Amino acid sequence: MDLSLSADQTAILDALDALARPYASAPLHDAGFALTSAALDRALQEGGFLDVGLDEDLGIGTAALIVERLTRLPQATPLTSAIIAPLLGVETTAPICLIETDKVHRPVRFLAECARVVVVGDTVTSFIATATQIRAEPEALFAYPVGTLLARADTREQHDIAPETLRTHWRIALATEAAGLLAAALESVCAHTSERQQFGRPLASFQSMRHRLAECQVRTNTLYWLAMKAAHTLDPADAALAALHAQESTRVCVYDFHQFMGAMGMSLEHPLHLWTYRLKYLFGELGGRGANALAVALSLWG
Amino acid sequence: MDFRWTQEEAAFRARISDFLAESLPADWERFAQHGPASPALTKYAEEFCGRLAEQDLLTPHWPVELGGLGLDPWHQTILAEEMWIAGEPRGGQYMNINWIGPTLIRYGTEAQKSRYLPPIAEGRALWCQGFSEPGSGSDLASLRTRAVLEGDTYRVSGQKIWTSYAGLADTCFLLCRTSEDRKRGISILLVPMDSAGITVRQIPSLIGQGDIHEVFFDDVAVPVSARLGDEGQAWEIIGFSLTNERLGIPRYALARAALDRAVAVLQAQGEWAGEAVKIEAGHAAALCEAARVASYAIVSARARGETVGAQASSARYATVMAERRVCEFITEYLPEALADAHSYLKMHHQRGIVAGIAAGAAEIQLNIIASDVLHLPREPR
Ligand SMILES: Cc1cc2nc3c(=O)[nH]c(=O)nc-3n(C[C@H](O)[C@H](O)[C@H](O)COP(=O)(O)OP(=O)(O)OC[C@H]3O[C@@H](n4cnc5c(N)ncnc54)[C@H](O)[C@@H]3O)c2cc1C
Repeated sequence: MDLSLSADQTAILDALDALARPYASAPLHDAGFALTSAALDRALQEGGFLDVGLDEDLGIGTAALIVERLTRLPQATPLTSAIIAPLLGVETTAPICLIETDKVHRPVRFLAECARVVVVGDTVTSFIATATQIRAEPEALFAYPVGTLLARADTREQHDIAPETLRTHWRIALATEAAGLLAAALESVCAHTSERQQFGRPLASFQSMRHRLAECQVRTNTLYWLAMKAAHTLDPADAALAALHAQESTRVCVYDFHQFMGAMGMSLEHPLHLWTYRLKYLFGELGGRGANALAVALSLWG
Repeated sequence: MDFRWTQEEAAFRARISDFLAESLPADWERFAQHGPASPALTKYAEEFCGRLAEQDLLTPHWPVELGGLGLDPWHQTILAEEMWIAGEPRGGQYMNINWIGPTLIRYGTEAQKSRYLPPIAEGRALWCQGFSEPGSGSDLASLRTRAVLEGDTYRVSGQKIWTSYAGLADTCFLLCRTSEDRKRGISILLVPMDSAGITVRQIPSLIGQGDIHEVFFDDVAVPVSARLGDEGQAWEIIGFSLTNERLGIPRYALARAALDRAVAVLQAQGEWAGEAVKIEAGHAAALCEAARVASYAIVSARARGETVGAQASSARYATVMAERRVCEFITEYLPEALADAHSYLKMHHQRGIVAGIAAGAAEIQLNIIASDVLHLPREPR
């Protein structure tokens, strides 16, 4: 076993960091709720970063490394595609929107005209959304652009993939994105609470805060490794464990993060919500913690 | 990144588990309830470690010139996992092998090495670690057991507490105060436990017989040649020991094995039907595997020769979370395990309670993470 990055992975992440740097430091005053960047999406496409999963040598493991880094940015991009598209054998040019047949009322991120909607039930099918099949939800509280699916296309492309295999990749995407989101949120809360002084000392020097932030670090770190493991092994149990840990860690950390920021954490002028409200979106995916814990139990013990 | 075991690593694990299957007595699981430091297990461990040594499996990560095979930290981890899952048939000797030996190799004089290393490598030694005192637990640097140099002999007086294995140990790795400087006033003495003036009192404990003790030092004479390193060097030396032992015992491995066993029992008893039990088991498994993979990240760094810092405390805290959740799961869904129905699960439960205390309290790990991983401002003293 060797958990260090390969030379290829290091080179790819270095190039990615160079590409992402200007976006990370973009002025965010009043970024609003669902910050996106067409320029970033284009640059990622042109750089081929979301297609590395198609390369057999790099695979989903390297795609996950890229996704984890990119979710740390304030701008939301449709990253799930990088982990799902190689399985479907489709391009990443259109966002991939995942939906379960028994949960069609849920808001779907990046659902817009021309997005590829992948429907997961007893089979896996997909179609390219048209304007009449969707309704944008501009007032939604998730820090992604989301839409509601009004109707499914009658004719859909059949994918020769077991639904459980698709769900495994979905869980890997969920966990990987949550890992980056938690890391970015934690970093921003640590920065603020280390600087802000009350009672004559930095807030983060109070042990009640230090300990809860440290626990969030433990969760963020373990989630990163569980997600990377699942992305490298593609094992259903590893994926379910990572997805469950992602959602449980979201429960533990998100409200603490806002709490520790005081009123600043309620302000749209601070970027914290861009990460935490995305985590809230992921919190309910694939049935939430209960369903993912059952998936763990099923895959480990039958 | 490669999360697969190499063929050689997998074969090493198989070799150990085969050895365990062949060597452990049929009633081993009941026997292991005696606790790692009990007289019964200590006696058994001497025989068992001797056999391990014959198979080159006692100190395989030690350098070749000192009787080891020079194997990397992955092998050390595989060995530690298999032993701990089996209920630690090496008893208290695991401590010799993991950090006392390597510390002596690094800091010992030639005389100390030739006196102490062969018995460790042959499975004949039992050490105890005299760090904690009644007034100095988490705040270890406040320790007061005093060693005063008179000619070429230290006179040691004071008291240690919670000392594992002290009742049967032959040598104590003792921290004592040689000057007033908080950290640089602490030195290490290697003290034979049969020295005149040492009294040991066993403390009954939740984890089994013989585990923890009080040790009283009443004007004990220790030759200066028994000092490890220089006077005042203890803090640096135990820092090195900790890098060898930072992750501590691979408790996540036993926690996961106990969880698997508990689920198998529940399935056999027809109590695995509802969703609640499965959801709880799923959560417990996630914490075990979270702790495992975070620990592996540290092992991987060590195997690459990188210095392992405070991230090890993060992995240790993850292990505490896993231990608790598995103990809670079994208490809630299989309470008969805490009676005498399942020896293995009872053994796990007895040992699991100490995960957040022994080798440094969980809150101390959180303090370390806050300061040295997150770089948060420190608490005012
Ligand atoms: C089974 C077992 C075996 C042991 N074996 C040995 C041994 O062989 N040799 C040896 O020297 N010692 C041994 N110990 C002792 C162990 O190292 C100490 O128990 C440990 O360091 C904690 O010290 P304490 O028990 O005095 O707790 P205290 O220092 O009294 O702390 C009690 C609790 O207070 C909290 N706390 C303490 N400090 C802080 C802080 N700064 N911030 C926030 N919370 C804090 C923690 O919750 C902690 O658990 C053993 C302990 C156990 C349980």
